[in-house]
Amino acid sequence: MTTTDRDLEALSALMDGELQDLELRRTLGRVSEDADLRARWQRLQRVSETLQSKRVSAPAIDVSLSVMQSLEDKPNLSRNPIWSAAIAASVTIAVVMGGQQLLSSSTSVTSTPLISDIGGGVVPVMGAQPIQASLGAKSIPVTTRPAQDSAMPEDVAAMYERLARDRYRRLNPRHAQAAALSHPAPYISYVRAPNASMASESEQD
Amino acid sequence: MTASDTDQQLVQRAQRGDLRAFDLLVLKYQGRIGALVSRYIADAGEVEDVTQEAFIKAYRALSKFRGDSAFYTWLYRIAANAAKNHLVAKGRRPGADATIEDAEAFDDGGLVSEMSSPEAMAMGDELAAVVEQSLQALPEELRAALTLRELEGLSYDDIAEVLGCPVGTVRSRIFRAREAIDEQVRQQISGDSGFR
Repeated sequence: MTTTDRDLEALSALMDGELQDLELRRTLGRVSEDADLRARWQRLQRVSETLQSKRVSAPAIDVSLSVMQSLEDKPNLSRNPIWSAAIAASVTIAVVMGGQQLLSSSTSVTSTPLISDIGGGVVPVMGAQPIQASLGAKSIPVTTRPAQDSAMPEDVAAMYERLARDRYRRLNPRHAQAAALSHPAPYISYVRAPNASMASESEQD
Repeated sequence: MTASDTDQQLVQRAQRGDLRAFDLLVLKYQGRIGALVSRYIADAGEVEDVTQEAFIKAYRALSKFRGDSAFYTWLYRIAANAAKNHLVAKGRRPGADATIEDAEAFDDGGLVSEMSSPEAMAMGDELAAVVEQSLQALPEELRAALTLRELEGLSYDDIAEVLGCPVGTVRSRIFRAREAIDEQVRQQISGDSGFR
């Protein structure tokens, strides 16, 4: 089958995310059958990167065929969600539930930031609820929650925050180490508690 | 629409088991991921192995990718971890952690240059020169469409509005501009096996 201008134009539009689903499917089918289209796709990406950065020079490497062969030969590994559930739960449950025990009869009124307010992205973790983590990024300013009607003594709230942060810091290295050694999928290498300056600022509030 | 929209489209199809879509993502990012891995590992053979491993891991974890970050950032982290795990398995000490800032700088092309060999950099410079020359040689309407797309990141709809022409014309102009540049690139580097 020969490469047509229609195929090439669709490939160009695909680069820009401008293909509708039907045409996308047709183009994927054509690319998988046509080595020239695959090569062209790769070249167009390099040209695009060059235009955008003017200084891209990646090493020559092509693992695409071996990756495809490997994925076609071996179906998806069965994933054991217990790993990630255990890892994520070990941190989040210890911190959140442990702290909540102190809040047995009242809700927080503190204006200090809560652990759940820590800056950073919500990170998907296999088999577990997303957890929020800094992912090695710098801490970002934390907005504080407004005080609520049901009051709790400030010293209890502050104690909860201190305990929670201490637990967080203690468990974080274990979490990172366990994930690095045993998790078959992407893991969160670091989950940071707010830095000292932020904590002190919050306490001053 | 942006390049990350393209990634999102391809990721969604790959998540439904379409290997052809994942193949395009591998083709798109293997150079940059290889460059990242070579930051950690010097041996070219090991770099290739770890790069391959990173893509396989990414595919197998793809069902858990929810799009909270850009696909490339997610892939970058998997590759960095694969490289570090490789060093640990070999009894070597991994270096500093890869951060999101690194991924973003890397995504901008900045770190790629820093970590590439002189030969690769020379090749990149050569490519950049050919691309620039080809861009300047394009007819005005093609150059405008491609520049608005590649450098300004505008969608086809926006470009159509700016240039006062139908969206189909924008699509065609961008395609023709890319074809003209690709033709020059192929001619210029046809004897250079380093660039595929």
